[in-house]
Amino acid sequence: MLKLVGAALVVIASGLGGIAVAANYSRRPKELRSIRSALQMLETEIAYGSTHLPEAMSMVASRCDSSIAPIFIRAASELTSMTGATAAEAWEVSLSSFSPGSALKQQDISILRNFGSSLGISDREDQIKHLRLASEQIGMENAAAEEEAVRNVKLWSYLGFLCGLMIVLVLY
Amino acid sequence: MNTAEQRSFVLNSSSGVGVLNEIFTVLPGSFRRLLTALPDSIQDKVEEVRIRQGRPLLLGLSHGDTFVSPEGRPTRLITEAYQVTSDDMERLIQLISCSSIYALEEELRNGFITLPGGHRAGITGRAVLDGGKVKTLKYFSGFSIRISREVVGAALKAMPYIIDVGGKGIYHTILVSPPRCGKTTMLRDMIRLISSGISALNFKGLTVGLVDERSEVAGCYRGIPQRDVGVRTDVLDGCPKAEGMMMLLRSMSPRVIAADEIGRREDVSALEEVLNAGVKILVTAHGSTLAELAERPALGSMIRSKMIERFVILGRSKGVGTIEDILDGKTLRSLGVKRC
Repeated sequence: MLKLVGAALVVIASGLGGIAVAANYSRRPKELRSIRSALQMLETEIAYGSTHLPEAMSMVASRCDSSIAPIFIRAASELTSMTGATAAEAWEVSLSSFSPGSALKQQDISILRNFGSSLGISDREDQIKHLRLASEQIGMENAAAEEEAVRNVKLWSYLGFLCGLMIVLVLY
Repeated sequence: MNTAEQRSFVLNSSSGVGVLNEIFTVLPGSFRRLLTALPDSIQDKVEEVRIRQGRPLLLGLSHGDTFVSPEGRPTRLITEAYQVTSDDMERLIQLISCSSIYALEEELRNGFITLPGGHRAGITGRAVLDGGKVKTLKYFSGFSIRISREVVGAALKAMPYIIDVGGKGIYHTILVSPPRCGKTTMLRDMIRLISSGISALNFKGLTVGLVDERSEVAGCYRGIPQRDVGVRTDVLDGCPKAEGMMMLLRSMSPRVIAADEIGRREDVSALEEVLNAGVKILVTAHGSTLAELAERPALGSMIRSKMIERFVILGRSKGVGTIEDILDGKTLRSLGVKRC
């Protein structure tokens, strides 16, 4: 009896482990999608609202998905603190504090970083161009990430349970 | 014309350093360090900061100008002076514009940006044209930051000549002054006094409508005046003067309409409307003498029509904000300001 309970525990534990890994894979496309829609919000603010950047950032932060809001909250607070930081510097600071805890990969961060270097320094048309470029690039990363997620999510959720079963078989 | 006794208002020195702090928020770190290292006696006197790429940083003081050494010491030698780098310029435009150059196309077209607190940053660079008209600026090469100081009481001595005989209203008044003579400061204080009333003269205070096209008089931040412009003053911030005066006339029933730097033809025709509507006007115009003002195409006709009742001529013969003369508009004779 005890053996059976133990076996069940092993299967459940490794199954849950597999699901956790799988969830991590599906996090990245979700974050990328949120970033993309946040960039579109920023574009609207800049193109139609002529909103000043710090204000536009806080507005985007309050409306976008909470998983990526910290990027915009931090950048806005860096800009309004009036320490003499430029928009590119504020964006950089905010990205480097956000990236360790996120599911984003290096290439995603570098797209955002490139975009940041042109933030706020040019006229409306140019800003829109840069925003669209970043949004497009994020979109491409997202497509790849989703494909990867579909594969890995299935794989890991089965793999967890199957590993559990195998351990049970070997030990039983 | 300059026979009358000349007087000046003394800059309130206690506010000097604080005022400079207000513009620190838009200056890059390198400039902040230089300016904070300056002795207080110099900081008090800074009227403008001139920044030109690849050339020395220049401070305009109330008497002459000075370079600043990299250690933050005032100096007369160009070789010792701090040279403005391209990095300084890039930071400056970003800080001045709140990293939002895209939102400032109208301001860039006019060549200046108003900073919080009503300070003005003039900008030069390369103009981008669209159909022969200036669309915006790029490759910014020079900035001139004019520091606006609030001098409470600057206009007190002129007020007895502006308030009409019954003490119930004011005369139609134009402040005439060359640039950098305290024109805006004087206007702001007059508005404050007219709007809040002057108990010493038993003057009760009138509703004033102020069209502050450049946000310099009231120093509005998001529409709220940051400077004391009196308790009965309605401010229309950032609005073109001609349109703004008509809007105020229709909507806020002011007794006095005030505006800074009248000069364009449409301003003058709007002023004529206001004059005919029974509302008093209080405006400023560029010029060093009345004769010079009369030469200007738009303003000349209004002066000749004798509708204006008082001309206050400002200068800086005894420091910024010297009231050189106050003239009666009908006779064009001096009112002998020395008698007050």
